[in-house]
Amino acid sequence: MKTTKKRSLAAAIAVLPMLAVTACAGGSGGGDSAGGEITYWLWDSNQQPAYEQCATDFAAANPGSSVNIQQFGWDDYFQTLTTSLVGGDAPDVITNHASFFPQLASTGQLLPLDDVVESEGIDFDDYQAGIPELWVGQDGERYGLPKDWDTVATIYNAQYLADAGLTPESLQDLSWNPEDGGTWEQTIARLSVDANGVRGDEPGFDASNVAVYGLGLKSKSGIGAFGQTQWSPYALSNDWTYADKNPFGTDFNYDDEKFIESIEWWQGLIEKGYMPSYQAASSGVGIQEAFGAGRYALATDGSWNAKTYFGFEGIDAGIAPLPKGPDGERAGVLNGLADSVLSTTEQPELSKKWVGYLSSAACQDVVAEAAVVFPALNSSSEKAATAFADAGIDVSTYYDAVAAGETELAPIANHWLDVLAVMEPAMESVLIGQSDPDSLADASEQVDQLFAND
Amino acid sequence: MKKQEAIAGWMFVLPALIGFLAFFVWPAISGLAYSFTDFDLLTPPEFIGFDNYVRLVQDPLFWNAIGTTSYYVAINIGLQTVLALGIAVLMHRLTQSMVVRGIVILPYLIANVVAALVWFYMFDFQLGIVNEIIDWTGLDRVAFFGESAWAIPTVALINVWRHMGYTALLIFAGLQTIPKEVYEAGVIDGGSEARMFRSITLPLLRPVLAMVLVVTVTGSFQIFDTIAVTTQGGPVNSTRVINYYIFDMAFNRFDFGYGSAMALALFVLLAVFTFVQLRLTRADKSDLG
Amino acid sequence: MTTMTPPPSQLASVEPATSTRAGRTPRPPRSRRVRGHSGGRARKALGWAVLGLVMLVTLFPFYWMLRTSFSTTVSLGSDPGSLLPVDFTLGAYQRVLGLATTQEALAEGGSGASINFWSYLRNSLIVATVTTVGQVLFCSMAAYAFARLRWPSRNLVFSAFISALMVPPIFTTIPNFVTIRELGLLNTYAGIILPTLLMTPFAVFFLRQFFLGISKEVEEAAVIDGAGPFRRFFQVILPLGAAPITTLAILTYITAWNEYFWPQLVGRTEDVRVLTVALGVFRSQTPQGGPDWAGLMAATLIAALPILVLFAVLGRRVINNIGYSGTK
Repeated sequence: MKTTKKRSLAAAIAVLPMLAVTACAGGSGGGDSAGGEITYWLWDSNQQPAYEQCATDFAAANPGSSVNIQQFGWDDYFQTLTTSLVGGDAPDVITNHASFFPQLASTGQLLPLDDVVESEGIDFDDYQAGIPELWVGQDGERYGLPKDWDTVATIYNAQYLADAGLTPESLQDLSWNPEDGGTWEQTIARLSVDANGVRGDEPGFDASNVAVYGLGLKSKSGIGAFGQTQWSPYALSNDWTYADKNPFGTDFNYDDEKFIESIEWWQGLIEKGYMPSYQAASSGVGIQEAFGAGRYALATDGSWNAKTYFGFEGIDAGIAPLPKGPDGERAGVLNGLADSVLSTTEQPELSKKWVGYLSSAACQDVVAEAAVVFPALNSSSEKAATAFADAGIDVSTYYDAVAAGETELAPIANHWLDVLAVMEPAMESVLIGQSDPDSLADASEQVDQLFAND
Repeated sequence: MKKQEAIAGWMFVLPALIGFLAFFVWPAISGLAYSFTDFDLLTPPEFIGFDNYVRLVQDPLFWNAIGTTSYYVAINIGLQTVLALGIAVLMHRLTQSMVVRGIVILPYLIANVVAALVWFYMFDFQLGIVNEIIDWTGLDRVAFFGESAWAIPTVALINVWRHMGYTALLIFAGLQTIPKEVYEAGVIDGGSEARMFRSITLPLLRPVLAMVLVVTVTGSFQIFDTIAVTTQGGPVNSTRVINYYIFDMAFNRFDFGYGSAMALALFVLLAVFTFVQLRLTRADKSDLG
Repeated sequence: MTTMTPPPSQLASVEPATSTRAGRTPRPPRSRRVRGHSGGRARKALGWAVLGLVMLVTLFPFYWMLRTSFSTTVSLGSDPGSLLPVDFTLGAYQRVLGLATTQEALAEGGSGASINFWSYLRNSLIVATVTTVGQVLFCSMAAYAFARLRWPSRNLVFSAFISALMVPPIFTTIPNFVTIRELGLLNTYAGIILPTLLMTPFAVFFLRQFFLGISKEVEEAAVIDGAGPFRRFFQVILPLGAAPITTLAILTYITAWNEYFWPQLVGRTEDVRVLTVALGVFRSQTPQGGPDWAGLMAATLIAALPILVLFAVLGRRVINNIGYSGTK
């Protein structure tokens, strides 16, 4: 919520005398006040204002009830959640993510929401295709109502394109392959500039002293098993899928030739000087800041971060589609968040009502206006596109990709956190150059072990 | 009289005794018990016998953790003790100034996490002042936290920075207890500084050093805070020290049983190590008499 | 292990030499300093240079915290080596103290999340103060019981206490977490404070050593006056022990203030979160970008400030009284 400086200052001063009085104010726990109060958790502070608005609207429409929104940063979110579940003071409703949803569902932490679908009259055809199904558990019950959708595209620095003699149009129809990288690698090479001004496709390019990298690199963020904003566009367009089936696959394909050769090519970009080293990428400057500082010409990132790229002073950004792969198609990961009710809630009715409200047009329109993410409800989603356009950001690339079916659903599987934990060091090791891409096959075996007892 | 004193004795010790029983003894026993179970805190514990221990012996990450922690302790304590000794001797010889001692102990006053965050920033690959200086001298930048070979030494350096002043003061106090006559005699015998240091100071400091070592080594094995806010076990498991691994296993992966087994294994290892250390340094005897 | 050593005496320049324990023949008193006599100046200069370097390395990070906290986060990348703040601004402090609007915060590179600094400060104060008062009181009582009173199984219990020193904290953390949860004290002040409130082996040992050293005459005089153990404790022992107790209190306060592991396990929610935990949380706030460095540095400085102030006021005593004695 916005507060003016003066009000905050006054509030801060007013708090001081209270310091002496609040000695025993410890102890919290959602839902212990009279009437209906529920607690809702989310991690993206950029989206918080929109949801605060939804909470206010909800309270107005349901007198006597209120929603208390708490935000925890992404790095801490899941651990804070599990500690709170174990501690018995968990929230009522949470923003759910595909990576921990299976674990929560299988341990009975989530309430089935099929009755909400009935009572609110939700028709999943109104929502972005593919998203609602992601939230059905292995037992066939639905545990999350769709909230938003996201996919991946290429963000470019228009000035750097121009400097290289390229135009945004040149980025529209590129393709890559594991052997020589295709027109995609040629473009990235052209956009890379070393400290002496030599471009990546010119002789004398010094790969150890690069000023501008053609393609940026994001560290962590599921880089091992998921790679949504890193290698997924390549592996997935190389005739490869994460597992034998999705959702709830049990045989993952990280030992597949096609996967390994995609990683090998992608990692090779670092050696050629077109992509920064993993050490640089995992330093205290994230991919967005680096882009904003003019160190990257292109960056593969998710739509939920698009707005940040357009907010850098002096940088004229744009959005271009991903390159096509050897199978002739583009492939970005289509993912989406959902809201779920925890089974430990003491206010199941109110919580379900809130979840229903969150997935309704009333709230999704508010989220659309904020132009931070794309709501899952199609009608609101269109409004979001307009809101982004009004803010000067053309997000049609994402919508076109989804409409053309150029996306793959994010993997949902049991033990996903363990899969991530196993693959991440293995992938990092490859990226640092400590191991061969073939070593990923060994990691893949460990992943298979995780499912051996199921 | 005696009875009154006995009663008083028990009453005085009672609160501490309750604390001891409730938060040291009881957890030790239940920790032992948990180590034989499969316990995720959401459902009651399930007895599984020695399975956790079998798993522990075969778990490469556990041994990696022991190895990483030992490596860390070796660098940390080795460097810290040498530096602290040097600082203590310098202070002893040059100045009794309260200001100097105050400055030297400053890092100890701030939290481990604070020190970690500041150095995390200063060592940063792109933004850090240390790398700026390295760059300026013409050498290649170092990814202190991003390179697996550098990660643990860097964490060790941060903790050395934080603790060397405090340790120096401890040794300094020990230096004060060495009678000056001993030095005077050494001077008369024509000993040089270095020789006196080796033959007089060090041996007489042995009990103090031994105690310092025991406590700092034990403390060093508990390393967690710094890693939790900087590398979280990476890169490529090079900073996955034992405390962090146990914590991760218990509170992120919900495996309290296995976590307890590992903690017990650590306890045993530490106890043996301390015992050996005390034996080797003959810490309970002083050369003075 | 730990005892209080008396304040170091002045640098000896003249001291009548009696027969030394090392068994050397006694020499006539000397008037020149024993120290720093060989290779005098050069060695001294070198020594001071090294000491100076040490102090520089010790102090520089504090300066760096200051310099960065007055910079703008997004501009830091453009001039990482500048010794002066980059793009001077008070924005970081405003963000940390909760005085900046979301827009301002985002513009400078911070996150839009609200920081409840005063809450965290209050929580740290409560936790540290209660822990210190409790620990010092109960441990000095126990130390007195071990040092000065006779009661059955006294030595046995003491040995048990000391053995607790050997236990690595992680071993007791997991079961303690379960205990605190069973008591329903998660995310409460009690939950954070309880495990160390009643006793720590170090405190008991430290104080017992000192109490052992208090001369018996004073206490015997009190006994003759008819004072029972309680009166002796409060009216004789405590006043005599004021020095080490204060030292212990300060050290305990510092340790409690700087605790991270346990509070972040049992005190995650806003209303009981202490400063150290809040810093960890602050670091992971921005969704996917790098941390808000300026804000982080400002936060660390503010978090360290109370202890630095405490130290400036009471530090002398601490510095003087830290020490190990080599003898039993």
